[in-house]
Amino acid sequence: MTIILRLPAYLGVGLVYAYRYTLGVLFPGGCKYHPSCSQYAIDALRRYGLVRGIVLAGWRLLRCNPWSKGGVDYVEQQRLFR
Amino acid sequence: MIPLFHILEPLEDILSAILDWLGPQGTVGLTWAWSIVALTVIVRLLMVPLAVKQIHSMQAMQAHMPEMKAIQQRYKNDKQKRNEELMKFYRDNNVNPAAPCLPLLFQFPVFIALYLVLRHPDDLMHSGDQRSWLYIVPDITEHANAHWSGYLLLVIYVASQLASTYFMSTTMDKTQRTLMMILPVAFVPVLVNFPVGLVIYWVTTNLWTVGQGVVTRRLVPRKPPPPPKRSSRTPPKSEAERDGAKAEEEPAPQPSAPAAPKRVRRKKKRKARR
Repeated sequence: MTIILRLPAYLGVGLVYAYRYTLGVLFPGGCKYHPSCSQYAIDALRRYGLVRGIVLAGWRLLRCNPWSKGGVDYVEQQRLFR
Repeated sequence: MIPLFHILEPLEDILSAILDWLGPQGTVGLTWAWSIVALTVIVRLLMVPLAVKQIHSMQAMQAHMPEMKAIQQRYKNDKQKRNEELMKFYRDNNVNPAAPCLPLLFQFPVFIALYLVLRHPDDLMHSGDQRSWLYIVPDITEHANAHWSGYLLLVIYVASQLASTYFMSTTMDKTQRTLMMILPVAFVPVLVNFPVGLVIYWVTTNLWTVGQGVVTRRLVPRKPPPPPKRSSRTPPKSEAERDGAKAEEEPAPQPSAPAAPKRVRRKKKRKARR
């Protein structure tokens, strides 16, 4: 049962991996955060499920902009969902 | 069509309008192929301020080189910890050599919208318009495998992709970088079914990245920090266990004597490759 409930999140993780090996290769770049945005998305999806995972990953992407400082930022440190 | 593509319709319209303005019927009056090149250049020009910001950051970083080298040396056996410490250091000193991810995302919709535009070229292009390019490509809306020039462009594409990956992936580790170098070649069988116009877009944007990378290297005289590498040598068990708990506060032990010659050799190899 739990596996069925977690399927959407796994689907999301699969999509991130698909991105990594297609568009991610065609548009190379780094990430100013550790872990990188795509790894953060995978961690967030695994831990918080599809919907909250997407919100967290989206928020991280928005923070990964030219005006932020970057740095160490793990999913466990998030404060949106408690 | 995938519903996701509908979100991009406004952007598709904007791109169509710009292409129309650049194209044979528009104000600028370029051929369609050159319009695509011009559009790509416009997109990349809009992103130049970001590159300038990054160059400034890399220049500022030169002053901190010794400290960063020390961090890399201290955690050379622990990739995770080393990345963490480096990122912390960047943050504390307000420098960061890596590009942010968000601007990168702006390129995807442009690319996908261009793909959609080229899929239905007749919405935009008139039947009498010139669709050839540089005398060798007969029709940029055809698939890349329709004419030998498409294969030529694909070869140029792979070369330019490898070059741009080389410049953009300085912060990646070695395995990831190798993978990023192999994958573009593996994509070729898929790319032959893409319109030639799209390959022109890729080549242009990659060449821009390479040019930007060359300028960046010239403005930042010394090499950026070597990409974090995973050591092929596993750390001595006893050492790792002993220091595992207090690694948080205390620096890891300095590299032991036997490790030193190995490191020197690796460094030489890296130099030779560049």
